[in-house]
Amino acid sequence: MNDPQQPITVVVVDDHAIFRSGLRADLDSRITVLAEAAGVAEAIAAIHEHRPQVVLLDVHLPGGSGGGGAEVIAGCTALLAGTRFLALSVSDAAEDVVTVIRAGARGYVTKTISGPEISDAVLRVASGDAVFSPRLAGFVLDAFGTAAVASVDSELDRLSARELEVMRLIARGYSYKEVAKELFISIKTVETHVSAVLRKLQLSSRHELTRWAAERRLL
Amino acid sequence: MRPALLRSNDAMIAGVCAGLAAHLGITVNVARIAMVGLAFAGGAGIFLYGWLWVLVPTQEEQLRRAPTPVGPRLTFPTSQGAAGGATSSFVGSSTSPMVSPTADPSAGSRGSTQSLIGKREVLLGTALLLVAAVAIAQQLGANLPLDTLLPVGVVVTGAVLAWTQLDETRRAGLMNRAGASQAGGLARLVAGLLLVTVGVLIMVSGSISWELTWSTLIATGAVLAGVFLVLAPWGLKFWRDLETERSGRARETERAEIAAHLHDSVLQTLALIQNRAGSEQDVVRLARAQERELRNWLYADATQQSGNLAERIRALAAEIEDSYGTPIDVVVVGDAELSARQEILAQAAREAVLNAAKHAGGNISVYLEAGPTGSTIFVRDRGSGFDPETIPEDRMGIRVSLYSRMDRHGGEVSIRSNSEGTEVKLVMPEKEADGAQ
Repeated sequence: MNDPQQPITVVVVDDHAIFRSGLRADLDSRITVLAEAAGVAEAIAAIHEHRPQVVLLDVHLPGGSGGGGAEVIAGCTALLAGTRFLALSVSDAAEDVVTVIRAGARGYVTKTISGPEISDAVLRVASGDAVFSPRLAGFVLDAFGTAAVASVDSELDRLSARELEVMRLIARGYSYKEVAKELFISIKTVETHVSAVLRKLQLSSRHELTRWAAERRLL
Repeated sequence: MRPALLRSNDAMIAGVCAGLAAHLGITVNVARIAMVGLAFAGGAGIFLYGWLWVLVPTQEEQLRRAPTPVGPRLTFPTSQGAAGGATSSFVGSSTSPMVSPTADPSAGSRGSTQSLIGKREVLLGTALLLVAAVAIAQQLGANLPLDTLLPVGVVVTGAVLAWTQLDETRRAGLMNRAGASQAGGLARLVAGLLLVTVGVLIMVSGSISWELTWSTLIATGAVLAGVFLVLAPWGLKFWRDLETERSGRARETERAEIAAHLHDSVLQTLALIQNRAGSEQDVVRLARAQERELRNWLYADATQQSGNLAERIRALAAEIEDSYGTPIDVVVVGDAELSARQEILAQAAREAVLNAAKHAGGNISVYLEAGPTGSTIFVRDRGSGFDPETIPEDRMGIRVSLYSRMDRHGGEVSIRSNSEGTEVKLVMPEKEADGAQ
């Protein structure tokens, strides 16, 4: 999908200038940063202006009506077909993560991620795949249950046995490559499984998810 | 030193006698008997009591007024923003031993009203007894001036009603305004006002004609309305200023609390980081430990019980991270009670993590999947790996702590190791199939 000659275009949204410049330095030559933004309104304007392929989005942002990263995604729904959001956060608390994922982000990484890893994550998101951190995989397992249940009505509300395996390995700290090697499948297949899980996480009406969100007043 | 004259929480009516007793160094009963005795001396005791009631502050009020030092590690106020939150946290954070019932505002008022069994009933009974005594005396021919006694009684009842309301508002109601007690309080206030007004009217109408009473009443009403009209804006402004000041103080308390916490933790760590800027490992370790501590403070999940397996694993990972400076990521799915069997698992996991931290370095991933039927822990490192078959006999760690310990309690250990890292898998079922142990 990506032309290897053509670098991925990115807009960095974070309220800390130090972090933005650090991130800019960390991203390798396959990625060009078009613009930076520090607040919700500024971010929505910059994304509409530059139409980047990927937005690196901090979960906690000042401005707007206080919704942070999720509010930025909500303000850019028209662009979701061409622009993908990768959520970044200092906090790996599930409440932060799941809000932006349910809002439409394609992945989530913590800010302690290393330079090469963040570049890989950006490329992966740009090509339409999902990026899961171990913590997020752990949350998915927690919310969907670790046993493969067949009796749930909706396909959306449960994980297949294979998806369960992939999530478990990611939660154990395996990279996509290691997961592929472990399960004797291609990296592409791993990515497909993760994307499927992401879709379920976003769309599922599974009551653990909704109850969990309601408890934290996310809905 | 003689204790200050404060109304006590150990109250029959308003805590005046108990406070007086503490102040004068006599027993409460002596003070109460003296007060009742004085009451018969032309009502002096009643006036003294009322006077002290109005003018002497309660213990809580006194404490609230005093500047409260902010301790280094205060708990976060549970109710924020509302003025009540400030007062309660203010009182709650004081270290005086006298304020035992104030931690929970509702408990405070409950404690003071229910500390003596049926205090209300006793008071009501006394009042009814008095009425009965008066009625009997009347029957026996004693010529009591009922015309004056009745209105005075009504006025006093009304005043007491209103005063107790005011008093309880001051004592605890301020802290918990949204409660249903507000409606009851208002009713009491209105009833008190009504009783006083009626009492005064009866008194006055005894000496002058009804016609004159009505016109006076109208004139009085008009004057009162005029005064109210003039003073209302002042009153409103005063009230608003009070509210602003109160919420300002609430914010200030909160700020002071957060500042104290940040000073104790974050600023200290930042200073340490500047000192150790040369050692990357130290800096990372300090930063991780501080992050963990701060996160715990900010997002601590009150619903999560301690003493569970997940908590235990997190704690031991944190401890090893602190002493070895290797980042350890813990992912937990589910949770289980920390039974004796799971404690064995936790100890084995500790050994596995410790091994990884000692020999592999780099990031360590710990994954715990726990449920009622058993728990599984994966400990993964990215070291150069080792061959579990060739562990020397003297490597006590793995032999004793992992294999034999887990074996003895029905658990399983499997180790996979290659050049990209090592993964230790520990399985501990909750119920043993063959019933050994």
